[in-house]
Formats: sequence, C-alpha cells, structure tokens
Amino acid sequence: MKCEICGSESDAAFCTDHSKAFSQIRDGFQVWKKALGIDWEAYLHRISTNPNTGRWAREVAEHLLKSSLQKH
Amino acid sequence: MDHETVLIVAEKPDAARRIALALDDNEKPSKESLGALSYYQSTRHGKRLLVVPALGHMYTLVPREGGRQHYPVFDCVWSPRGIAGKVDHRVQALIRGIEHLASEAVEFVNACDYDVEGSLIGYTILKFACHGKDLTAKRMKLSTLTKKEIVEAFSSPMPSLDFGLIEAGEARHLVDWLYGVNLSRALTLAAMRSRKRYATLSIGRVQGPTLMFVSDRERDILSFVPRVFWELKAKVEVDGQIVVAELCKGRIETLHEAETTGRECLGHEGVVSNIEVSKYSQEPPKPFDLGTLQAEAYRVFGFSPSRSLRLAERLYLSALISYPRTSSQKIPKSVDCERILLSLAGLPSVSAYAEELVQKRRFTPIQGAKEDPAHPAIYPTGDLPQGELGSDEAKLYDLVVKRFLALFGEPVIKEGIKVVIQIGPHPFQLSGRRTVGEGWARYYQPYYRTDEVALPSFHIGQRLRVSEILSDEKFSSPPSRFNAASLLSLMEESGIGTKATRADIIDTLYDRGYIAGSRMVATELGLQVSRLIGTYCPIVASVDLTRQLEQEMEAIEVGMEGKREVLAKAIAELKPALEKLKENEVVIGERLSQALKLAQVQKSRVGPCPICGRGDLVIMRSRKTGKRFVGCTDYFDGGCRASFPLPQRAFLKPLLRACPHCHWPMILVRYPNRRPWNLCLNPRCLGKKRQEGTA
Repeated sequence: MKCEICGSESDAAFCTDHSKAFSQIRDGFQVWKKALGIDWEAYLHRISTNPNTGRWAREVAEHLLKSSLQKH
Repeated sequence: MDHETVLIVAEKPDAARRIALALDDNEKPSKESLGALSYYQSTRHGKRLLVVPALGHMYTLVPREGGRQHYPVFDCVWSPRGIAGKVDHRVQALIRGIEHLASEAVEFVNACDYDVEGSLIGYTILKFACHGKDLTAKRMKLSTLTKKEIVEAFSSPMPSLDFGLIEAGEARHLVDWLYGVNLSRALTLAAMRSRKRYATLSIGRVQGPTLMFVSDRERDILSFVPRVFWELKAKVEVDGQIVVAELCKGRIETLHEAETTGRECLGHEGVVSNIEVSKYSQEPPKPFDLGTLQAEAYRVFGFSPSRSLRLAERLYLSALISYPRTSSQKIPKSVDCERILLSLAGLPSVSAYAEELVQKRRFTPIQGAKEDPAHPAIYPTGDLPQGELGSDEAKLYDLVVKRFLALFGEPVIKEGIKVVIQIGPHPFQLSGRRTVGEGWARYYQPYYRTDEVALPSFHIGQRLRVSEILSDEKFSSPPSRFNAASLLSLMEESGIGTKATRADIIDTLYDRGYIAGSRMVATELGLQVSRLIGTYCPIVASVDLTRQLEQEMEAIEVGMEGKREVLAKAIAELKPALEKLKENEVVIGERLSQALKLAQVQKSRVGPCPICGRGDLVIMRSRKTGKRFVGCTDYFDGGCRASFPLPQRAFLKPLLRACPHCHWPMILVRYPNRRPWNLCLNPRCLGKKRQEGTA
C-alpha cells in the first residue's frame, strides 16, 4: 500500500509522517470548532492557508479538502 | 644513551613551545628538526629536555583485517593515524622522529592536556613510538600553560600515567569505533549497492541520538497545526502618552468571549486599581564551563560551539586562559584570584573595574554547581596578551575576562512594577522593570542582557482615557528550531557525548548533509536516516543507552568498572542491530538512494523562480559546454527559459534567502583566500546598481 499523499510505502492510507500530521489535525479541530464555531471543511481551509501550519499538516489538509470536493 | 635526557610529550606544537620555554634555565630553548619532526630542546638543572609535540591523536583504531566493504567488524588495533585507510606519511615521519629521540632518553613525561583525550594521546605515543615507556613514564598535570604552573607540574609530576583516564579513553574510542564503523558501513554499503555510486553516510553512538533530537523536532514542526486564540489590549492615555495594557486574564479561547469582553470594555474609562512594586536580585552568573562558554559565545557573537572551542584552545595555548575542556563551574581556592585581578588591572578595557574589585577586596568568586575533578572552571590566567589578538580571539578573551570580573560583583537589584487598570468589569495590566542597583552587570558590559521596560508614573484611583480596545486573532507557533547552542545544551542535559566531542558531532551532522541552516532544519536525508535507525536499530537512537554507556565509561575512570565488561556489553547490544540492518539492506538502500537524490536536488536549489513563478531555480551544468549556470526546473515542463550565468571556479552555495533589494534568490560565492560575497541573481538588482554607482 502507498501513502495517498507522498506515495511512500505504508500500512495505511497515510505514511507514518502524514498519519502523525493527520492526528494533529484531528486533535486541533475541537479547539477551532469551539473557538470559531466552524465546520470541518472551513477548519481545513483555515489551517491549510495558515503560515504556522507545518508542511506535512498542510499537505494532509489540502488532500482532505480535495477528497471532500471530489465527493461533492 | 644520554642518561640526563628527558623526553616530554606535548599535545600540540604551541604547547610544546610553551613548555620548553618555561622549563629552560635561560628561557631560550632551541628549536630542532629531525626529518619532519620539529621539537624543542631545553636545559634544566643539567638535564637535557626534549619536548616533542603530537598532532592530536597520532594513533587511531583500525580493523585488524583490511577491507572496507564488509561488516560487522569487532576486532581492531591501534595503528598510526591514516586517512580513509591509507597511511598518513606526515604522521609516520613524526612517529619515526619520536622513536629516534626516545632512544636517547631515560625519563619520559606525558605533558598532554590533562583529560581523557590528552592522557590517551600521550599513552599511545609512549607505548608505541617509545616502545613500552608508558609503564615508567610520569604525568604532568596542567590547568594553565603559565610558566609557574608548568614548572610546578614538572617539578612534582604524578609518578605514573593516569591509567584510569587512559582506560576510560580507550574504552570510549573502542565503543565509538565499534558503533561508528559498523553502522556507517551498513548505511554506506546499502546506499552504494542500491545506487551504484558512493556517498559517505555515517551514524554513530552519539550522532544517532543527536540526529534524533533534530529530526524529532522537525517532525513536530512539519506536522504542527496551530491553535487559534485572541488577545485583548487597551490603548490608554497617560499624561499625553499612549501605553498598551493587556487583559489580566491572558489568552481568550473563543471568538464569542473575545467579542463580548471587548464590548463590555467599550465606553468605559480606565481606573488604576492597584500598583504592585517588588524588588528582586539577580546573583552574578556562574563561572564558565565549556558548555556555558559555548552557549554564551553563540548568544553574544554568534560563534558556533566548535569555533568557540577552537578559539578557547588558542587562548589556552597562549597561556591567557585556563584549560577550556572542563565541566567545572567552580574556581577553587588554589587559584589566586587577587593576583589575577591585580594583573587584569593592566588591561585597558577592564582596568577600572579590576582596580575597583581589588580596592573593595572582593576576592571570593561565586561558584556554580558543576564539578570536574580534573580542571577548574575557565578563568583568565592573569597573563596579558603580548601583541594583538585575532579579532575573534580578542572577543572571546574579553568575554572570559568580563565574566571573571562579574563573579566578584554584588547582585543586580531590579524593581518590578505591575499596574492594574480596571476598564469596565475587566482588569488590564501593565508591567515594567528597571535596574536600581547595577551590581555585577557593570563588569559584564556589553554582554549583560537587559530587560528594562519603562512606565510612566501612576497613582491609585487615577482616571485614564481609553482610546481603543484591540482584539487580536492569534495563532500558536510551532516548536522553535534548535540552534547550535540549544542543541549542545540538550546533549549536555541528556548526558550524551563529552564536553570535547559534542561540538564536533554537530559539525558532522552538517557535513553529512543531515541538517542545514543556523536554525537547524533536518534535511530529507537526515529525516530518512533517522527513520531508518528508528525502525531497524532503535538502540542507536536511544538516549538512555548512550547515556548509560557514558556513565559506564565514567565509572572506568574511577576504577568502578572494567573496560572489557563495557566493551562486551556494547558488542552484545550492537550485534543484533547490525544483523537486522543486513537483513533489510535492499529496502534501506532504496530509501537512502531516494533521500540522497532528493538531497542533491535540495543542495542545488537556489529558490523559487521569479520569472515564471512556477518552477525552482537550480544550479545545473550545461551538457554542451560543461559550464555551471542557474536555470529553472520549469524549462522541461512549461518552457521557462530563465537562466543566469555563474562564476565557474568559485565555491557556490545557495543562501536560501531573498535579496533585500529585489527579493530574488541569492548565492554565496567563495574563492580561496578571498572574502566571500552574496550574489543576487537579478541582473537588474537595485543593490548592484547602487554598488556600481558608489564604485
């Protein structure tokens, strides 16, 4: 199996690095939701354009946004 | 054989010269040559002294059986130092010279630096070049290279070599060799077999955990997701001056609360409801050990730890400061501080302060917590520079001298003031600080870090106009990157490496391309190597294991542990890790190959292309002419034809920052023996025009 983002060998949808970033994103959502009352997509938008967001986290956020757009 | 001849081994040529000068009856030793060996001959009370310099370690460990293409290797021997397995002819010639002089001597003395490395350097020379004279040789113990201390150490030397230190040194070299050679070969061979090209990859007992510190931090930064919060501030008018007070509560976690709080403050004036004044003192800083000297020199001058160590060693060899490779933060009573202060009164930059301390008879320095049985903290010897020091040496010397003066000063007295201003239902605060008693800070200028914040005067009940309430949306920041000083401190706190080797380990991480930049970024290669050792040989990444080995080697120094047991344990830990690396050589090789390719691209990347905005500018070579130039990666995809000429013979390094004038990428250009310069790629850069205009 390959990581959906970087294509490296992985046991899950994301490699270890992008999985770590994904769990950071998941953990951060509750804080942002409480702070701004925003939904998951708006949250992903906000963090993907924030300069303090790390590269791996941004890649995951952009990937999740793209996937959700494709679903819609 | 001349029965009056004594052979003294010094660690470096400068130390040999100082020792010969100090011990010669007429202070006029002769400089002699024997083949490639330059040494000094002195006469002392009828004895002939031959002072021979080493060049650091003259002997190193090599595998008993040759061949660099296999591992594991556990059997090694001491052999004259070579480069990449080849004989170093200069070292061999020096050894031949020492062998010849040893045949004329009846007494042997090791006068190398008094620490693990110095003891081992002297021991290997006396054992191998002097054919077993390690058993009868004496040991001079020096903490400074002043005449007084050299003469005392020669007159009453230790009766035998310090075998505890030697054994600990041998154990450290053996363990480091076992780890370094085997693991580095495992990585290098795996990469070489995969990409059919050689690249030096290394990892070692201390390098492993140090790389993990940087790469773990990099992973935290790369996967960082900021949190949002708000800060409320009030602009308040005091006697025609605007000051900004912060909400006492600090961070606000929701937009709703930030808006409500802001609204509740609107239309209210501020009333000073409380003023708290507190006094506190700052004790003088502790004496410098090597780690704190390196950290302070990085803070005030931006010197890397290895640069500071080199400079400090030069100052030590000039007898201006005491031995710098020390862990001690204590200045013992045996150091004559009164004499040193009196001498420093002759140094124009500090004469007034040194005299002041002498007049006040403040001769008892503050002491730090850390101890080192071999050496005191770093202090100026009191010998003043003869002639002008190099600019960086002068800076470091000034720092050591002023730190020494500060140790005798009175505490700095500070006054903190906190003013609480009630605005509607919410309290805001202003904080100020000022110095009321300068104390030791006077002696430590300009290195004292001041944090003064001036406030206008207030009184309780004072009414103030609030001109604005500001609500700032903020985001938490990722963890900060290491710099050389903070990484060095972490290595020290974690108990990995020694005071003498930590700075070199950091340099090796840079040399291998595992880390880059002064605010350390772990490169793709560094991240990949750390991933691989984390997966296939986690013991190499383990801080605990490295610290445990360090403790065992310290126990050897004091005779609590044996060299053989420590080595046996190290091999037992290493063997399974190497087996696992071998089993997975193909996968490891592939991953390293990819990382090396990426590293090559990263290394030649200059910055984003300002012409097309899509590609990256990279340094490349023309297939036709073989010349170097900068081109855009988008040339192959979209046809961006941006290209810029480069100096052909110079060393080039992308600066990874934009030109301050036009924001185009820049490259560092360096020719041998010339000052390097920053080249902006923009041919029409305003900065260049200005330079041309002024020229």
